[in-house]
Order: sequence, then structure tokens, then C-alpha cells
Amino acid sequence: MKPTAKQRIWMYERMLTSRKLDEAVFEAYWEGKKPIFHMGKGPLPGEMHQSFGQEPAAVGVCVHLGADDAVGGNHRPHHTAIARGVNLKRMAAELFGKKTGLSGGRGGHMHLYDKNVSFFCSGIIAEGMGPGAGFALAKRMRKQPGIAVSFNGDGAVNQGAFHEVMNMVGLWKLPFIAVIEDNAYAVSCRPSESTAVRAWKRAEAYACGGEYVAGNDPDLIFEAAGRAVEHARSGKGGYILEIQTERLHGHFIGDSAGYRPKEEVAAQKDPIPLYRQRLLDEKVLPAAELDALEARVKQEVDAAMKFGRDSDYPAPQEALEKVFA
Amino acid sequence: MAAPVVDSGRSLTMARAGREAVIAAMRANPDIFVIGEDLGGVFGTTVGMADEFGSQRIVDTPISETGFIGIATGAAMAGMHPIIEIAFVDFIGVCYNQIVNFAAKTHYMSGGQFKVPMTMMIGYGGGYCDAAQHSQTLIATLAHMPGIKVITPADAYDAKGLMASCLADDNLCVWMVHKAIWGLGWLGLPIKTALATVPEEDYKVPFGKARIWREGKDVTLVGYGITVHHSLAAADKLAAEGISAEVLDLRTIVPMDRDAVFKSVSKTGHLVVADEDYMNCGVTAEVLASIAERDPRVLQAPAVRVANPDVPIPFSRPMENFALPDADKIVAAAKKTLGKA
Amino acid sequence: MTDVVVPQDLWDTEDEGVLLTWVYSDGAVVQQGKLIAEIMVEKAQLELEAPASGRLRILVQPDAVIKKGQVLAKIESA
Repeated sequence: MKPTAKQRIWMYERMLTSRKLDEAVFEAYWEGKKPIFHMGKGPLPGEMHQSFGQEPAAVGVCVHLGADDAVGGNHRPHHTAIARGVNLKRMAAELFGKKTGLSGGRGGHMHLYDKNVSFFCSGIIAEGMGPGAGFALAKRMRKQPGIAVSFNGDGAVNQGAFHEVMNMVGLWKLPFIAVIEDNAYAVSCRPSESTAVRAWKRAEAYACGGEYVAGNDPDLIFEAAGRAVEHARSGKGGYILEIQTERLHGHFIGDSAGYRPKEEVAAQKDPIPLYRQRLLDEKVLPAAELDALEARVKQEVDAAMKFGRDSDYPAPQEALEKVFA
Repeated sequence: MAAPVVDSGRSLTMARAGREAVIAAMRANPDIFVIGEDLGGVFGTTVGMADEFGSQRIVDTPISETGFIGIATGAAMAGMHPIIEIAFVDFIGVCYNQIVNFAAKTHYMSGGQFKVPMTMMIGYGGGYCDAAQHSQTLIATLAHMPGIKVITPADAYDAKGLMASCLADDNLCVWMVHKAIWGLGWLGLPIKTALATVPEEDYKVPFGKARIWREGKDVTLVGYGITVHHSLAAADKLAAEGISAEVLDLRTIVPMDRDAVFKSVSKTGHLVVADEDYMNCGVTAEVLASIAERDPRVLQAPAVRVANPDVPIPFSRPMENFALPDADKIVAAAKKTLGKA
Repeated sequence: MTDVVVPQDLWDTEDEGVLLTWVYSDGAVVQQGKLIAEIMVEKAQLELEAPASGRLRILVQPDAVIKKGQVLAKIESA
């Protein structure tokens, strides 16, 4: 099943929104952190794991999802959150730690939650798998439609939680997809150094479907994800969808990725300009409309960043609130 | 012939009373389900329930605590209310992350967007030669983490009422019962004072309200779970020596009724706190802190703590008995603080 | 007057059991079919239901070792 023109435009627009936000965040991140790098300083403090290059993985999957579904992101959540349709202004405000943020500033960059689109994050590798499968179980138990998707990195597949959850997903045939974004590096560790058998190849061991899609190409990811989603929706159970993607920057801002061979870094391709060119070549959108789309995206991102900057911080004693419902 | 007694009320074990609360709540709310290992079996709390509720709602799992507690957390975030059975609190080591970093913190980290209504039913405690990895209490470890309510009934009446409150609460509530008072088959006969008259109808016991089991004027004996029963036995022995002990059951550790403790100690001027958990940085220390921070002058003598002396629980009976609190140790502690040692 | 007997098919083996607890006190009014006692055999906890409605007259106290077929109490019909 190939994407329609409308879906392709949606995917491009979402990828671009994520990229423009990440660019703005990258710039803002360095404020207050020069000449001495101190992670806790500046308007955008903390760790920052950006999604440069990984945008196709999120849009190619999320394009198939709707209001009935649930999505879990990980510690690198921006592209996933944006593909899922998380409120962009409130997301930016959350990154700035402002009162108007998605969590009122309590979660920050690695803990983005938006109940309106059933989106949550896990700051701890692989540990969001369980809650994701739990959403799927709840749908099954209440006889509601919908599936759950959990986004993880290639480094997550060896954590105990991954194995435990996939076993139960297979045992109970839960409508759950484990997306593995293979960006070739778990911080500095390559899969060949850490993983005996790749996750998608283990699918049979978990009585799930599974496949690997190479190329970091939104259209190819669309097709593979379509198969995964159909598998889950049709009642066949779980799926492990491993997606080759590219981490264009370091693990987090501040990681110079000196462990990567220079030739490898030089050979990386940015998927977004490539996709833009394809939309032009295949006459999906003329250049003028693409320009207009890009202008709208930039405006939306700028507005979100401004909203984040201009919003107030929460009062300090608000730290005591919302521990319990 | 004795005077006729009309329907004197039912005397139940804590296990049966807790189970009644679970069954009543499950009948009333289809979103409540039980998940865990050996649900047919180890503690009998859910025996036979699959007949009424089906295996859909009594979900037997593989040995995968991180996995199924994560799954339960997700189901709770989606609006259901899972009850998770963990046979031994010692096992929280394998799923600690899911409990303290996910279930406990998701409401806060999401700014209140996602509630996590989840009840854990956990057995704790030693005294039967099950050694260091199957006999712990670990209540301080859980109470220490924000986002967890820690519920410790000491008898069947409180077991049912506190379980009902857990199942009506939108947060992670950990309902913990010492194995020796639960009324399970494999620890012999339950301590008699743990049995109680339990109404057939539904009722709730509120969190954060301590219970005075026995009034006294010379010394306050604070305990929870099994140490309430040790304290009651100690109070009997002390009474024989003319010492009037007040026995205060904390009932819930988070939230803790510090006002009740302060009020009792203000009256008696003397305090003994007993806990089967490790002493260092434990619940006993927290109770003492409550007094010291509010007004240490209510104490006429230094308080005394009775707890595990920070050793892994030994297997061999004489050593295990040495390490764990009992009535005699509480009697000795009371006399010490009263200067009658 | 109805005997409250430990049923022959309450457990499989020939082991003895222990009367764990009476749910109602001596003299209480009980209803047929409802739980009136708990019996322990090895690790299992078994339930004893009232065979009739009426006033419970307890003959065997908790903690006693019991056998199948043993009479534990009587129920006086109303």
C-alpha cells in the first residue's frame, strides 16, 4: 500500500516541523552554556536528545494512527511527539520548563505527555514498552478499537523489559507494535557490538510479526508500517518493526560523537531535503506550494518557541503539587 | 444454656477480608482487574475468582515483573484499575524501576494528565526461616519514594476497609500484609488478634488515620502490621507489672498520622516504636523525627526503637528470632524508656 | 439438629487437617450455604459451608487437628 499525495504532504510537513523545532531548540540550547558548558544553565537546560535525521521513522508510522491509538516515545521524543500531533506550543513551553508546558514544567524534554493524543514518554531505555503494551491490553479488555505503538532505539532491545513485554505481547496477541529506530548507535555502541540477534529477527521467538525496513525513506517506512499496523489491527497480535534511520548529530547536544569514523559521518544523507526533492520530481506539490508550506511551518515553530520563552515559570512551591491525583 | 447470640458477626482472616473488598469492587467496576503470577495459588487471595470474573480479568502472567507491572501501569494510564499481586516484597528488586520511576511518578511528570490508579497487593515479613531474600519488609524503601501510598492493615476489619479505599483511589497504593497475620495456609494458624469481625456490607477505612487498639498512660507503643500484635502482647505483659501501655497502630505509612502519634506521646511522655524492617533510615526513624520536629519536650526520656538491627535476615531460627522484633523486645524497650530496665 | 461434618470430598488425600477458624461464634445464627469455617490441609485453605440454617453449636475449637467425616458442630434448626 503506497501513501497518497495527501499523506506524503502530511509526512513532509510533520518532518519539517520537527526539524525546524529541533533547529530552534539547538540554537536556544547554547544560550547560557558558553564559554563553559554547564548542562543546567540557560533557558533550555538539561539533557537534549534531538531527532535530526530520524524524522522519517516517526512520520512513516504515525501517519497510520488515529484517535483510538496510543503512542509511547522515549528519551529522544521530539519527532515522535510532533508526528503524533502533540500540542506544539505546550511542548516548547515544557522544554523551557514553563508553567504553560504540557506538564506544567514537571516533565521536561524526556518526559513529554499529551493526554489529548494518548502520547507519553519513557526516560528510561525500554521501560516504556510495558506501559505501551498496557494501553493495548486495556483496549482489548474494554473491547475498544485501537493499537499501541512504542518507539525505542536499537540499544533498547537487550533490556529485560523488551524481552518480558514482547513475550507477553506474543502470548496474549496484544495489538502492540514495537518500533525500533536503528540509528546505528546506542550512544557510542553499535548493534554489532551489543546485539547477538537483531530485534526484528527475534519476532518468531515472540510469536509476533517482524520486519526491517532500510533506507530511512518515508515512503518505504509508510509501507512497512502499514503492514505492521494492519497486523495489529486485524487481531493477529504484535509486531517488531525495525527501521533504519540516521542520527545526524551526537547522542545528545554536547556529544561530539568522536567515536564515529569521519567517513561514516560524511556519508550520511539528510532525509528531509531528499524527500522534498522527490515531492517536486513526482509532482506531488509545486515549488511555490512547498515554499508556502515551509513558511507556515517556520511561523508555527517560531510562535511555539516564542510562547515557550514568553511564558512564566511555575511558582517554586508548585513543585509540591500533583504528586497524587 | 448460654444466652442466645443473634448473628454475632463474622470473624474472618485478613486474606478473606481483603478478598471480599476486591470481589465487591470488581463486581461494581468492570475496569478493575487482577494481574500477577500464580493467581490461583500462593496466597489464595484470588483462588476461584476466575470462575466468576473470567481469565480476562484474572490475568495470570509469566515470571516477568518488570513486564507486567509496566503493562499494568499502561492499563491504569488508559483508565483501568489493575490490582497487582506480588507474593514477596523482596521481589520488588526486579521491577523497582517500573514501580518507583513509572507508576509512582507518571501523574507528576505528566502534570496531572495521566492518573495511575493501581493497587499492589504485597506480602512481607519473616519469622519462619525463609532467609534474607524472602523475609524482608522493605516498607521504608517504598514509603521513601514520592508518589506511592503505603497501606499496612493489621487486622481483618482494616484489611477489607483499607483495600476498599485503595480500589477507590486514583493513585498507586501498595497494600501490604505481614505473612504471619494474613491468614495463609502455609504459615500455620494466624495470630488471633489479626482476626476480626468483618461486616458483610462494603465500607472504607480512611488513609492517614492511626488506630488506638489499647489505651494507656505510661508509654506509647507504636507499630504497624505485625508489630501491632507484638505490642498488644507486650502491653499484656507490662500490665502484669503495673505498667499501662497505649498501643497505636499507624495503619498507613504514607500518609502517616503524625498528629495521632504526637497526641499519644504528649499524653504518656514515653515512646517505643517497633518495626520488622531494617532500623537504619526506616519507619521507626520517621516516627521519632515526627516528635523531634514538632516538640521533643513531650518526651520525658529518650525514645527506643525496636527493629531489625540492619542485618540480612538469617535462616537459622535462633539467629532469625534474635534479629526480628517480638513482644519481649518491646517489653524491654518500654522498661528501658521508663527507666525500669 | 444438623451435624456439621467435614465432607469426605473436601480434600483428596487421607491427611489430617486443622480447623483454622470459625467465622461465627457459638450461638450465632447461620445461613445454609454460607461460609462458617476455614480448614487447613497442608498449604491449602478450604472452606466449610453451613449444611443448614439455624443456631451454631460449636463442638471443636480452632487449632484442633481434624479428620474427614468428623463432626465439628451442630446446627439447631430455627
